Amino acid sequence: MIGLHDATVRFGPRAVLDRLSFSVARGRSLALLGPNGRGKTTALRALLGFQRLDSGSRRAPPIVGYVPQYASSNQSYLVRDVVVMGRAAGLGIFGQPRPADYTAAAEALARVGAARFASHRFDRLSGGERQLVLMARALATGADVLVLDEPGSALDLHNQSRLLHLLADLRAPRDRTIVFTTHDPNHALAAADDALLLMPQGPPLFGPVADTIVPGALEQLYGVPMRLVELPGPDGAPHRAVLPAFAGQRAA
Amino acid sequence: MIDAVGDVTEAVVTPRGWAGTAMALTLLLVGCVLVSLCVGRFAVSPQRAIEVLWQALTAPGRAIEAMDERIVLLVRTPRVVLAALAGAALAITGAALQGVFRNPLVSPEVLGISQGAAFGGALSIFVGIWGLPLLGMVFAAGLSALVFVGLIARVDGRTEIITVILSGMVVGSLFSALLSLIQFVADPNSSLPAIVYWLMGSFSTATWERVLIAAPVLLAGLGLLWGMRFRLNILSLDDSEARSLGARPDLERWVVFALVALVVGSQVAVSGIVGWVGLVIPHATRLLVGHDHRRLLPASALLGAGFMVIIDTLARTVTAAEIPLGVLTAIVGAPVFALLLRRHFGERSSS
Amino acid sequence: MSSKTLAGLLAAALIVAPAIADDIVITDHENRTVTLPEAAQRVVTIPMPMASGVISLDGSSDKLVGLNPLSLTAIREGILGRIFPDAASISDAVTGTDFMPNVEALAAVDPDLVIQWGGRGPEIVDPITNAGLTTLLIKYGTEELTRQYMTMVATAIGRPERIPELVAWRDDVQQAIAGKVATLPADARPSVLYLGRSLSDITASGAKGNYNAWYIDLVGGRSASAELEGSVSINREQIAQWDPDVILLNSFEPNLDVNWVYTDPILSLTRAAQARRVYKMPLGGYRWDPPNQESPLTWMWLAELLHPEVFDYDLRAEMKSAYKKLYNYELSDADIDGIIWTAQQGDAAGYDQFEAR
Repeated sequence: MIGLHDATVRFGPRAVLDRLSFSVARGRSLALLGPNGRGKTTALRALLGFQRLDSGSRRAPPIVGYVPQYASSNQSYLVRDVVVMGRAAGLGIFGQPRPADYTAAAEALARVGAARFASHRFDRLSGGERQLVLMARALATGADVLVLDEPGSALDLHNQSRLLHLLADLRAPRDRTIVFTTHDPNHALAAADDALLLMPQGPPLFGPVADTIVPGALEQLYGVPMRLVELPGPDGAPHRAVLPAFAGQRAA
Repeated sequence: MIDAVGDVTEAVVTPRGWAGTAMALTLLLVGCVLVSLCVGRFAVSPQRAIEVLWQALTAPGRAIEAMDERIVLLVRTPRVVLAALAGAALAITGAALQGVFRNPLVSPEVLGISQGAAFGGALSIFVGIWGLPLLGMVFAAGLSALVFVGLIARVDGRTEIITVILSGMVVGSLFSALLSLIQFVADPNSSLPAIVYWLMGSFSTATWERVLIAAPVLLAGLGLLWGMRFRLNILSLDDSEARSLGARPDLERWVVFALVALVVGSQVAVSGIVGWVGLVIPHATRLLVGHDHRRLLPASALLGAGFMVIIDTLARTVTAAEIPLGVLTAIVGAPVFALLLRRHFGERSSS
Repeated sequence: MSSKTLAGLLAAALIVAPAIADDIVITDHENRTVTLPEAAQRVVTIPMPMASGVISLDGSSDKLVGLNPLSLTAIREGILGRIFPDAASISDAVTGTDFMPNVEALAAVDPDLVIQWGGRGPEIVDPITNAGLTTLLIKYGTEELTRQYMTMVATAIGRPERIPELVAWRDDVQQAIAGKVATLPADARPSVLYLGRSLSDITASGAKGNYNAWYIDLVGGRSASAELEGSVSINREQIAQWDPDVILLNSFEPNLDVNWVYTDPILSLTRAAQARRVYKMPLGGYRWDPPNQESPLTWMWLAELLHPEVFDYDLRAEMKSAYKKLYNYELSDADIDGIIWTAQQGDAAGYDQFEAR
């Protein structure tokens, strides 16, 4: 369970978040969408508790598994040492990870399918591999809430697909809360139950994916004509996808 | 990609490799210490020096009467111990600060701690205070520099790393100016040469008394920093990442800074300001054991101690005159640092 | 000193202008021509030893109107402050201890002549000359330079008759000592270590161009630290290695006395300490370590300590006569004990010969 209630954040005179309220229940997954500069990142930071609220409140467990878009450190650590950092909250400032913490880290790495990188240097991994490792670190915290900042936005299609599968996998047991921001409505379709659309004008739109990731709402959100298409998936079952109408080559 | 990762470089150290490296560094330090105890301006044969040390260890209560015994046990040994402690202190604090600031060019001078400590020491020499009270003054002044930095850098209840660095520069300049003021009014026949010599950095006045004054605080500070070795990994991350992992980086950073002030203060009190060690040794150590502070801190301490012992041995043996430590550390440190920087950027641009 | 060498000295330091009758013209140590319309009555001295130099050359402190703060310290610490009580109130605002003149304070004391260091660059000289003040530049450090500047200053303040008394005296004593030392076999020269500083760090000097080494050699010693270059820091281990026969401590550090050596675990084992031949340099009208108006007394003192069997100076009588000549002062035995630190080092080897009888 994580959420904001009446959250307002001002940068100078401008209210970036204006009395924003939403909450995500355990077992559900929320996609946060919005055009650039509309407060998507601010909302995420507010949700994580990194952004002070001018008014309103935040509800969150003490530890939230956070997966940043990029790893920030210029230090080069081994992958297993990066993942075991997820155990820091239970160790205190003079604590050292114990064998049990390494076991938890190894399990988390296995969960995201990155166990083979355990003794590699993190800074030498590809972007997709790094994101998997950061995901493992978030899982290693043991938190039942995961917050991801634009997962997959910097990844190639193959890695995007791996990541979305992983997100869907994590969602399947319905024992976690997942929140992620994205620019791609299809990511919401693939891995979210609900979506929160931070509209350029007017109040945000919050609701199940089926009601919110629809051409009308998305056109309002991005100011671009959108179309919903159905295509056969690899297993033959139909998939729904949303495309901007500018995509593709204009047929003659 | 797997191939690139499989390209095992110096920074990948397996647990077994780490044990070997740690053992090698320890032996290196022991070797440096033994060699240093056996050489000096006064002619004592290495056999005799070892014999004297052995007697001192096996029969500690013995009166030390002969000149060669006193040279080895009362001049060289405390000097080597103090040099090793100072080297370890400088290297560990450099490594810790570089981690916390995520900046490889940081050293205790950046926070104004060294300048504050120098001012405190100069002030106590100026008013004629030596020994333990001098240590107190040095530490208090170093810590007050840090507190000033903290007060200036704290905006809206938060401290950004860049404001800490800028505030450190401001406070450092202020304390440098105060130090110049003391030197200006100090008596050129008594306190001024003492201040200048002390600032220049030297172990030539090392005695067991000084070792006993400095060692407890120094070791306590080093022990606590070492205790934070895993936390330093967390603090080397971006603030938001560190916070998401349950740390409180803007608070815990100050714990690190205070420990650094404690250690640097004790080191400066007994041996003055010694440059370069805190910058160069952590870099060199990273090439050996990688960035993980759990290995970087102890390995830096061992390497820093050995380096300082060698440098000080050169300072006291090469000529009849004492060569200022700062001269030697800069002569060795600057080119080594230039090489490390080239390597560092070379590695970055190739990856 | 023979009249011939005296004339030579005068010629070296002075060019008396033939035509313009009364002007005093001096060539100083930077080969500048210094012209005074008449003898200087108000003199400022910026180099430390020069203040007591002017007092001794004039025989009074009347002509000294400004001095270095450190000269004032030496006057107050030493006997000069008692001989010339007025000297303690002379302005020391005219210069910093770094020899940088304070031009406004200088102008305020209205000097006819300012004596400043030569050979240390224009930064400390130009402010004085730019203020239109007559400036005499002196160099320092050797016996020859000392005699030259004493001659210049005696001339400048209109006391040329002091030159034979004070400068010739130096030559007489030097010749007498050198004559006796010449007969000494080389192995009879003890090694002598002069420590320029002791308490914070320990410094010693090489023999080259060093005044202390020069007079150690003059009186029949051998500088233990001759191998050094310039004045540098040394450690105890090096002193143990030199193992000098005699250790001389400086008179600059007020808190330093011979116990510093006797209580040190290393230095107390040197030959000098074992034989109790550790002496702090006396502090008379000026500190006896560097060249000054009392230097011949330094040489006699040290000559008697190194070779009591060769020399037979009655140091007390020599000091009394010198102080009469230099300062017109009747030196008491208590004064002498204060100058040569009898209370602190009266039990040192050889000090019994200096006892008051």
